Amino acid sequence: MITVERLTKRYGPFTAVDDVSFEAKAGLVTGFLGPNGAGKTTAMRIMSGLTPATSGTATVLGKPYAALPNPGRHVGLLLDASAQHAGRTGREVLTLGAILMGVGRQRVDEMIDLVGLTDKEANRRVRNYSLGMRQRLGIAHALLGDPEVLILDEPANGLDPAGIRWMRDLLRGYANEGGTVLLSSHLLNEIERVADEIVVIGHGKIVAQGTKDELLAGAGTFTRSTDDAALMAALAAESIVAQRTATGGLQVDAEPIAVGRIAVAHQIVLTELRGGDSRGLEEMFLDLTADAAREEVAA
Amino acid sequence: MTTAPTTTSTTPAGAATPVVLSKSAESALPTVAAVPSRIDGPRPTTGVPFARLIHVELRKMLDTRAGRWLLIGIGAVIAVALTIMFFNEGGQHAFGEYLQATTMPMALILPVVGILAVTSEWSQRTGLVTFGLEPRRARVGWAKTVAALLVGVAAFATSLVLAGIAHQGAVTFRGITPDWTMDGLVLLGAGGYVLLGIAQGLGFGMLLKNTPAAIVLFYILPTAWSILGSMVSWLRDAAVWLDMNQTMQPLFEGSLTGEQWAHLGTSVAVWVILPLTVGMWRLTRSEVK
Repeated sequence: MITVERLTKRYGPFTAVDDVSFEAKAGLVTGFLGPNGAGKTTAMRIMSGLTPATSGTATVLGKPYAALPNPGRHVGLLLDASAQHAGRTGREVLTLGAILMGVGRQRVDEMIDLVGLTDKEANRRVRNYSLGMRQRLGIAHALLGDPEVLILDEPANGLDPAGIRWMRDLLRGYANEGGTVLLSSHLLNEIERVADEIVVIGHGKIVAQGTKDELLAGAGTFTRSTDDAALMAALAAESIVAQRTATGGLQVDAEPIAVGRIAVAHQIVLTELRGGDSRGLEEMFLDLTADAAREEVAA
Repeated sequence: MTTAPTTTSTTPAGAATPVVLSKSAESALPTVAAVPSRIDGPRPTTGVPFARLIHVELRKMLDTRAGRWLLIGIGAVIAVALTIMFFNEGGQHAFGEYLQATTMPMALILPVVGILAVTSEWSQRTGLVTFGLEPRRARVGWAKTVAALLVGVAAFATSLVLAGIAHQGAVTFRGITPDWTMDGLVLLGAGGYVLLGIAQGLGFGMLLKNTPAAIVLFYILPTAWSILGSMVSWLRDAAVWLDMNQTMQPLFEGSLTGEQWAHLGTSVAVWVILPLTVGMWRLTRSEVK
């Protein structure tokens, strides 16, 4: 379990992480979603004891990271798959980790096998690895100590669709066995495929958080009828806001059941009635991304 | 827009329906994502033993191509030096002279091992892993110090053996008069020269966190003393206390006055102890990126 409370990190006048609080629970995959530069990586580094927080706290398994004894056996970290010595072989990277954590060498072979690196690839130097191979090596390293918690920064970056599918199954299985997973991504569809709970961050602040179903649940109702104008008037009489959409039909700020009842009362024939599109999260996220993109252009 | 995205992620790990994956240029992933097996026994409640940290740091110094070539380079220089001495002047050199030929290259090059041991954590960004696995960073710093000094001790022992073999070889095959005299202080000086250089390299590495800067500063310092010392008189006076090349010199001659010990102590404090202390403080405080 990871608990983050009122976490703030400032670099001079710039606030990278701004009063962030959330919890990543055991047995669930928590997605940390935000555009590049939103503060995800900084927040994850603070959780891992690599960057000091300006204020607020982050605990893993009830303790500050630095207080964990032999942390590799409790928490698996993958903060940057490229942060490996280019001159070491993949196998050597894992062997060093295994010695330090005090797990057997056969664990190294097991993890190489698990992430699907061949013997030949494992004996190659990391310099010659593609990003996808580095990610797999990083995941192998994170799982080496059989941790209870995984903290993964953009682990799907560089994986092909099959690789993303594989990772999703892996993390799902890991969480089903009681593990805690926190993974970040700047891609909404990547997160919504893997995560149970989502924390959305932009400009260092949390802009939304909740279960995936809550966040993706549509706002309002979409409906079509044989007489949209009459339906709109009927809804307006109940002071319910409705809008015509460009493609026909009405977007209504109410639950489908309320719209159905009003239609029955006014004897209007509905041809379509369903929960509104899950536009909310996507639009909010696109706004965030557009902001970040504008800043990049301006900079 | 349909509700498609929510339907896929709720299926459990694809054990029942194996996913057939593409045959890409890289190795194919396993068709079924297996969950890693559990490690038997309870999770550790004690920290990583210091000996294990030293073991890992020693291994890290030798498992990269850079580290290995550094040692091969030292070996090659020593071999060349010994060969020249063996044939020059009929090989008539005392053991002490052979020892100098084996120690010098080590003292010159081994500090780079100390520098790289620290700076590679930043330049190769392996610090993310290293300090993630041992957040008590001072322990990592000390493990690096001990490991680098162990390399130095092993190297010095090797240089003693090689010098001995070369001298004995010259006695046996070239018929020179054996001369095994060796002053204790000279031996201390030669060993100290190697180890202090390594410690200085570690200190510079921790202080600057940057490979080229640390290496340049380390090698330019003695030259800077002699060039600037010849131009600026007060620097020449200061060099007596601060230029390690000068302060170490009496050690090799086998005699030190009280004042010379003070010179030596001062230069070591300034160029070895101080960088190590400040560097260790930086190491524990810096943000790891």
